[in-house]
Amino acid sequence: MSPFQIPEIKTMTFEQMTFRYDGGAPVFENVDFKCPVNNFIWVKSAQMGAGRSTLLQIMAGLTPISSGKYLINDKNVADMTFEEFIPYRLTMGYSFDYGGLLSNKTLFDNLILPLLYHKLFSEEEAERRVNMYMQEMGILRYKDQRPSAVQGSVRKITCLLRPILSHPQVLLLDEPSLGLSQDLILKYFDLIQDLRRQGSAKHVFVSTFDEKLMGMIEHQELLIDRKQLFCEASGTESTLKKVGNL
Amino acid sequence: MQAVWAQIDGLGKIVTTNVAYTLRLFQMFYTSIRATFFDQAQGLRTVFAVLSAQIYFTGWQAMPLITVLALASGGVVILQSSSNLTLFGGAQMIGNLLVVIVVRELAPLLTALVVVARSGTAVASEVGNMRANREIEALESMGINPLSYIVFPRILGGVISVVCLATYFVLISLLGGFMLTKLIHDMPFNFYVDALTRAVAPEDIWLFLLKNSFSGMIIFVVSCYQGLSVKRSPTEVPIVTTQAVVKSIIYVIVFNLSVTTLFYLHELSRIGVI
Repeated sequence: MSPFQIPEIKTMTFEQMTFRYDGGAPVFENVDFKCPVNNFIWVKSAQMGAGRSTLLQIMAGLTPISSGKYLINDKNVADMTFEEFIPYRLTMGYSFDYGGLLSNKTLFDNLILPLLYHKLFSEEEAERRVNMYMQEMGILRYKDQRPSAVQGSVRKITCLLRPILSHPQVLLLDEPSLGLSQDLILKYFDLIQDLRRQGSAKHVFVSTFDEKLMGMIEHQELLIDRKQLFCEASGTESTLKKVGNL
Repeated sequence: MQAVWAQIDGLGKIVTTNVAYTLRLFQMFYTSIRATFFDQAQGLRTVFAVLSAQIYFTGWQAMPLITVLALASGGVVILQSSSNLTLFGGAQMIGNLLVVIVVRELAPLLTALVVVARSGTAVASEVGNMRANREIEALESMGINPLSYIVFPRILGGVISVVCLATYFVLISLLGGFMLTKLIHDMPFNFYVDALTRAVAPEDIWLFLLKNSFSGMIIFVVSCYQGLSVKRSPTEVPIVTTQAVVKSIIYVIVFNLSVTTLFYLHELSRIGVI
């Protein structure tokens, strides 16, 4: 039904990647890094403002890097037009830490928009899916409300649901537990585990300071420190290992 | 001498800044058209939904204000020109005078100013707030190009609205203005309509369409561009909105003046004066 051929995401790699905001100091500098995949990956930083959200935005293709390369399946994202990158976007779900809902649409319309716009499903199937997930997370009664008319936690859940509705391969979640109770966020991660069992949500990147949440999930860690990226396997006590030898 | 060079440098900087800004506007206009035609997913239904909303807000909702403005300006122009032309014995010229003043100049300019004030500000602040609330990023993350989903329908809707509003302005101004001033002058309606129809030439229609369609395009390209220029903070929204108004008015006036000047130069050259 959809006019797009969705590629299978195998690798996400940075080569000599530097990123800086307009005229500012670099957030990342000459990073050579192959992102860990096929797991939950906890994006951590030693301190606040180290660039966790920026990294997720770069990975989602929302923020272009200043120099170097960001490769998905060995294809440089910077060389692709918006239209060429759409098949990748459709299999990469991104959830914002705050904002990101269209204020002139209801929560239901916000959720169904990408499914219908890209003709990913029939109208009936898209509606069924949206209703099912809203019901699952307990926000179905707010479906006809606009974002400004509901409380922050409902907005946050809506923002978290949108990327998983199309069953993407990559999930990029920026502060998913912000403003949510432990029960709700665990319910959400149960949904993701269900998706993983069905073969989607293979690579889940979670940026959070919620150690309690991540302690309940088997994961790998991706650490941002001194403008570089490092990774380690979950549960290992070893020193963080920079994956620089591509 | 240093002061002269500083003045020249300053002038050069203003010129290059404005040329660069204008080029960026053209680039956004082109990329929004390109994005619309290359977007495989975006159907006519999506464009039509945003387009009809834009026409409703820009065109339909502006009609009361345009009515008042058109009646006032039409009444004044008809009253002044009929009384003065009668004094000089040239009452037959009223049609030509009204076409020149109302159709060629007043309608395009006043309609554009009303649209800048009502809809240019609305679009700039709406798009600016969308940027500040990360709605534009959200659209991108969903694979929806903001240039085809947000910008293009607003430009197209703006062009259609401005052309329709200006046509409405002309009708209300010429007919309503006549009715409004009927008590003061004693011009027969048939004579008035006949003078008007004889005065309208095809080049008036082309000039009218050219001025209004481009004014509509200018207003909405500038407003969308200013709205999209918001980085993150909601405090930037009123700043870009003000800039959108100022820049739209300047561009519209410069465009209208340029077209009028070129048109009259062409007319003068056609009759052999220059």
